[in-house]
Amino acid sequence: MTFTSFKFLLFLPLMVGLYYVLPERCRVLFLLLASYGYVCAVSVRAALALAAATIFTSLAGKYVSHQQQRAYLAFLSAISLLTLWLCFFKAAAVLPLGSFGKLAAPLGLSYYTFKLMSYIIDVYWGKIAPARSFTQFAAAIAFFPQITAGPIQRPADFLAQVPPARTAIWLGLSRLVWGLAKKLIIADNLAPTVNYIFAHTHALHGTSLLTGFYLFPLQMYADFSALTDIALGLGLMFGIVGPKNFNRPFTATSISDFWRRWHMSLTNWLADYVFTPLRMATRSAGTAGLAFSITINMLAVGLWHGFTCGYFVFGALNAAYLVADALTIRQRAGFFKTRPNLNWLGNWAGQLLTLHLFFLAMVFFRARTVGDATWVLSHMWCGSGTLASASTLAAGGTTALLLGLTGYAILELAERYRPDLWWARIEPAVPAWTRWTVRCALGACIVSAFFLLTVRPGSQETSFLYQVF
Amino acid sequence: MDQTQALENLTDVFRTVFDQPNLVLHDAMTAADVENWDSLNHIDLIVAVEKKFKIKFTTREVTGLKTVGDLAELTAKKVTATP
Repeated sequence: MTFTSFKFLLFLPLMVGLYYVLPERCRVLFLLLASYGYVCAVSVRAALALAAATIFTSLAGKYVSHQQQRAYLAFLSAISLLTLWLCFFKAAAVLPLGSFGKLAAPLGLSYYTFKLMSYIIDVYWGKIAPARSFTQFAAAIAFFPQITAGPIQRPADFLAQVPPARTAIWLGLSRLVWGLAKKLIIADNLAPTVNYIFAHTHALHGTSLLTGFYLFPLQMYADFSALTDIALGLGLMFGIVGPKNFNRPFTATSISDFWRRWHMSLTNWLADYVFTPLRMATRSAGTAGLAFSITINMLAVGLWHGFTCGYFVFGALNAAYLVADALTIRQRAGFFKTRPNLNWLGNWAGQLLTLHLFFLAMVFFRARTVGDATWVLSHMWCGSGTLASASTLAAGGTTALLLGLTGYAILELAERYRPDLWWARIEPAVPAWTRWTVRCALGACIVSAFFLLTVRPGSQETSFLYQVF
Repeated sequence: MDQTQALENLTDVFRTVFDQPNLVLHDAMTAADVENWDSLNHIDLIVAVEKKFKIKFTTREVTGLKTVGDLAELTAKKVTATP
């Protein structure tokens, strides 16, 4: 059951309706039951794995906080077991386990394991006290809008908002509809062409491969940020404000700027719990310590997605970019400081370079093998013709591709000019009748869009790219 | 050393690390208020503070810092505790 399915359309109004009639003190328990109900609907095995990891971490958190002498040992054991838990499923997904074959990772494994790890580390560092209520803690870990693909909301942030008193149903619904539109109009229309190109890399040349090179990151951004919007929108409907995950990443002017804007909940997590401790431990080693910490951090970013060569190369390439960025930042800043009239050129060139460096790494992320990825990169300059060859366009359908690209252009414009913020600014100043007319029109549009997008003729459940992690 | 004195001394360190000669610090300031202050150069700042005041921070202390005021308070406490 994905967030774009008809089953979910039936599940959601029922949930929201029930949530509203419940007394505040029962809401967290309701969220916990609903979250486990959602996970069970996908896989009972995944729900059992989630429950086991949650109970273990809750007990470990209490033990770590109550120990004086053996706190470090308890903390280290808990973190090691959670890391092994994550690595076991990541490895089992790519390596056959005897007669069992390959094991699919349980739903949301990478997301909730990181939530659990941050909880144990924060308790050990004394930043938070162990959760007093197991129900609240378990609800924070299993919160169904975020279980599929994040964002990774740390338990402390969730627990500070419970019991959820203030719900924002319209704001949440509009965010949800925005996410559905991004997914169903942009990502799903770009997907067939991208899938075709990356399934037939060795049969394609030149502009077809170049089309795949440029299209996949756009599809990925539309798809992943859509899922984040849906998760944040659902969260608002249940009174939980989730963390921001994207901030117009393709406008970044350097690779370090890019990683402050892309999958922010993951990169912030790694910055706090991997990069900073590593950097502190290696601070006496100067530049070598910095390069080492960045490399481990970015390899962790890559391998968090799965134990494959493609994800490893994706992490290694981004590590190399970031090391080069960190080692030259002072020189670049100095150069442009003495030449302020060239700042526009620096920003423009930086944006273009960052975009292409990330797109290059994304080929390794998407291609089936490293060999396929190197084929794409080495053959996309061979051959000429139109934007893409007829066979490639026919695979996805020219109309779908054009619809997806037009939708993407509207997305970029909407994120650049933010008409919602503009309206929020002028709304108090406009006459009451105008305000209510616009509100009613917007409400009708949002509800219509919600039904049109979820109950599409001949619609099928579509999965999200990031829900497999 | 008290927190106010620590904040005055930290101003020089911040100006050097972030290459902003006119930067003025206040207690409530966070990384979001200072250009280029991110996780990549946060430890450069910590190392510069350690050198200037001849003190050592732990990872747990560094990750607990939220504002410039927190850093000034911790620095003042460490300097005072150092024989």
